Amino acid sequence: QMLGLVPEMYQSIDSSRLTVLYFSLSALDLLGKIEKISDNRKQEIIRWIYSLQNKPCDDDYARCGFIATDSLPSDVDANYGHIAMTYVALCSLLILGDDLSRVDRDSVINGLKCLQLKTGAYQCIALGSESDARFVYCAACISSILQDWRGMDKDRATEFLMESQSYEGGFAQNVGREAHGGSTFCSIAALTLMNKLDDLPRQRRNDLLRWCLQRQQTGFNGRPNKPMDTCYSFWLGASLKLLGAQDFVNQDANFSFLMTTQDRYIGGFSKWAGYMPDVLHSYFGIAGMHVISNEVEIHPALNISMRAFRHWQDNIATTAV
Amino acid sequence: TINTNYFIQSNLSMAELLYRDRPEWNDITPIPLPYNDREPVVQIMYSERFKDVYSYMAAIMKNKEYSERAFDLTTDAILLNTANYTVWHYRREILRELKLDLAPEMEYTRSVIADQPKNYQVWHHRRCIIEMSGDASKELQLTEETLDKDAKNYHAWDHRQWVLNQYAMWDGELDYVDELLTKDLRNNSAWNQRYFVINSTVGWSKETVEKELEYTADYISKAPNNESSWNYATGIIKKNSMKYTEFLCFTDLCRRLHQSNVPSPFLMSALAEIYIEEENSTAASNIFEKLKELDSIRANYWSYRQQELTAC
Repeated sequence: QMLGLVPEMYQSIDSSRLTVLYFSLSALDLLGKIEKISDNRKQEIIRWIYSLQNKPCDDDYARCGFIATDSLPSDVDANYGHIAMTYVALCSLLILGDDLSRVDRDSVINGLKCLQLKTGAYQCIALGSESDARFVYCAACISSILQDWRGMDKDRATEFLMESQSYEGGFAQNVGREAHGGSTFCSIAALTLMNKLDDLPRQRRNDLLRWCLQRQQTGFNGRPNKPMDTCYSFWLGASLKLLGAQDFVNQDANFSFLMTTQDRYIGGFSKWAGYMPDVLHSYFGIAGMHVISNEVEIHPALNISMRAFRHWQDNIATTAV
Repeated sequence: TINTNYFIQSNLSMAELLYRDRPEWNDITPIPLPYNDREPVVQIMYSERFKDVYSYMAAIMKNKEYSERAFDLTTDAILLNTANYTVWHYRREILRELKLDLAPEMEYTRSVIADQPKNYQVWHHRRCIIEMSGDASKELQLTEETLDKDAKNYHAWDHRQWVLNQYAMWDGELDYVDELLTKDLRNNSAWNQRYFVINSTVGWSKETVEKELEYTADYISKAPNNESSWNYATGIIKKNSMKYTEFLCFTDLCRRLHQSNVPSPFLMSALAEIYIEEENSTAASNIFEKLKELDSIRANYWSYRQQELTAC
């Protein structure tokens, strides 16, 4: 339903419209329903995604990457690419079986370069934005999918992430901030993709593991003494999977919690039991159920189905992975 | 408390004419929003008002018009989609171009924050305004107000830390943390802030760690099942590469609580770490055994920790 016409209330997320596409497609994929989309329709969607790819302005790549929506014309100066939209665009294309041949790789990678700060962190848009672990993650995914790390100073990015590990053991969004389930996923996944996870000294890895495991109540919370939320089943589930600690998660308890946040009438998941479901929590509810259990295989770092990942491996990847 | 410019504007604009019906705008040709219902892809069914505002926003941005009316238009555009980072950026360009007074902008961002305290764009905008004006004098109050409504709002804490770092306004921050912990000793954000302040000011000498452990011991005794206090106590020792055994006050506390059979998995976990440091594997193993039952959801993990003891 989300793939077609979408109600007015979604106006307020127009600026992340591409992420709504990704959540919908990836959810369908995890549910084994991607083949229900006809080839024609897949091509329609692929065309729309590519229509959101920005071209460079002479030698200036700052605006490159993908934009979120077509509601503002792409030739408006300030309509720069957004790192998260680039990430979800690539994932969506992979899910739809596209070969990424229409991705202007050089432009995307050069665009990425413009976004990395001296601290090693990334902004999301070259016009200027907040910078934190979320966008380091996006950069790592993009570089990984395109197999091109020229847009990423991996050492600096790693330094930034390591600095952001708090005294608690989890990772925060930034140096000095509070350890958080979302940023912990972003950091662990980014480090994994950059092949830097083993740089973590043993004691700090132990503390990280313990902090992640402590997040499980029945489902998971994102920080100590905060309520559980559907999406943390994915953020922490995937983190623990990447740490090789999936066996330490109590799957039954997690599953029971997720069943309570599912909406019996509308379908989908909400953040908490009894709340309105939304596409983000619906996606993460499904992903959260499966990332550990492996009933449906999910790539725990890239956050796409293993089916989509294997398509990338078989048809796009150019070196042995 | 929310009734400020932002909402007064919003109530008015709902009743106002569409831009396309305003004579003072008829020099502008709006750029209509694409709407594809033949091959829709997450096609949002924009309202008339949204299409109207954004079709004019597009035209203005394309023409690069930096004017008062363009500025007011961004207010309407932001109201309809507060996450539109392109529009926020354009608004900043107008502010700079026209050298507009930043005081009303501070008020405006305050009201948007009050309405949507978890919106990334408004907090970033506020930060930019402060960088332009150099005036961070209201930020502690703003974040305090925001935290009053939600003591763990990540954006508010992020902003507060940025201000403290940038403008070195450390006076009274530890007192603020004390206040918050008195109100709620389980406020993990407040504990994190405590670490941040000390780290940024006096630093972690052995004396400081000792003092902080005494401070934390009090809270641990009040609520031995509070993860936040335990994370703080064990964290300050480990992050500063010190040893538990350097701090008798803390190890004594753990042993005392354990002797009184306080059923806290956090206590047990800390005690196990102490035993491991003291190379007492038997004692550590016993603790892990107890944890398999006391903290049964993590039974597999505690088993693993037990096995790890024997694998040298």
